[in-house]
Amino acid sequence: MRYSPDRLDLTLIALVALAAATMAFAGAGRGLLLANGAVLAIAAIKGRRILLDYLDLRSAPPLWRGLATAWLLLVAGFAWVTSAITALFS
Amino acid sequence: MSIADCEQEEAGWGVFEGLPGDPMMWVLVFSELVAFGLFLGAFIVAHAVKPVVFASGQASLDATLAGYNTIVLVTSGWAAARGVASARANARRHARLWLLLAMVLGGAFVTIKFFEYAQEIGSGIGLETSVFFTLYFLLTGFHLLHVCLGIIILAVVRRQADPVHVETGTIFWHMVDLVWIVMFPIVYLVH
Repeated sequence: MRYSPDRLDLTLIALVALAAATMAFAGAGRGLLLANGAVLAIAAIKGRRILLDYLDLRSAPPLWRGLATAWLLLVAGFAWVTSAITALFS
Repeated sequence: MSIADCEQEEAGWGVFEGLPGDPMMWVLVFSELVAFGLFLGAFIVAHAVKPVVFASGQASLDATLAGYNTIVLVTSGWAAARGVASARANARRHARLWLLLAMVLGGAFVTIKFFEYAQEIGSGIGLETSVFFTLYFLLTGFHLLHVCLGIIILAVVRRQADPVHVETGTIFWHMVDLVWIVMFPIVYLVH
């Protein structure tokens, strides 16, 4: 019997690949704003996959999906904006 | 059945309808997200105020080890989600095995984190070394406590492997996963 991966398996593969990409970006030593933006954007994408597929919010009311995504974007966005401001003024 | 249960049955869960698991777990999860969000916000602001201290602190951390821990935790989340799918399909034996795998991987996360702490403490770093390390130990320690609590919750819901109980327990576990996904770059990688 052949095993075909389902959405959960694909999510795991995506999360592991994105974790590896995070490490590659962090070690690449590119421009500060770009590197910070990349690792935080990847974190937001990983978080969104966890919300939709692990926490099963894909079929939940939009209010809760939106609130959880807003938390994710707020924290990641605040970290990026703050690091950008710090880089500009230092 | 208590009066409160009867009233609840008549009224339903209102805005919580449609969410998996027990709605009270979602109340807890959103409360925890607010607490972690504020904590991470404080860390980000302190980083902006003392960039040199934070750069020096981050350079002392083992980001590779934390990266491995990310992979361990997302794999544990996958096993927990598989446990939910099995419990919903009434395959309770499979659900128990998936949840056991999730717990073992959670234990691996705790072990790696303690190894990381041991390395740091061994090199003379402590809670009072700098404001970076005070916040680092408090933030990651608070998260680690949640991981330990999550493992206990998984162990409790694993016993009967009832679908609603498994859904409810794994919601907490995925919240712990979600928080780490955001915490990892903020604490270890963002300069």
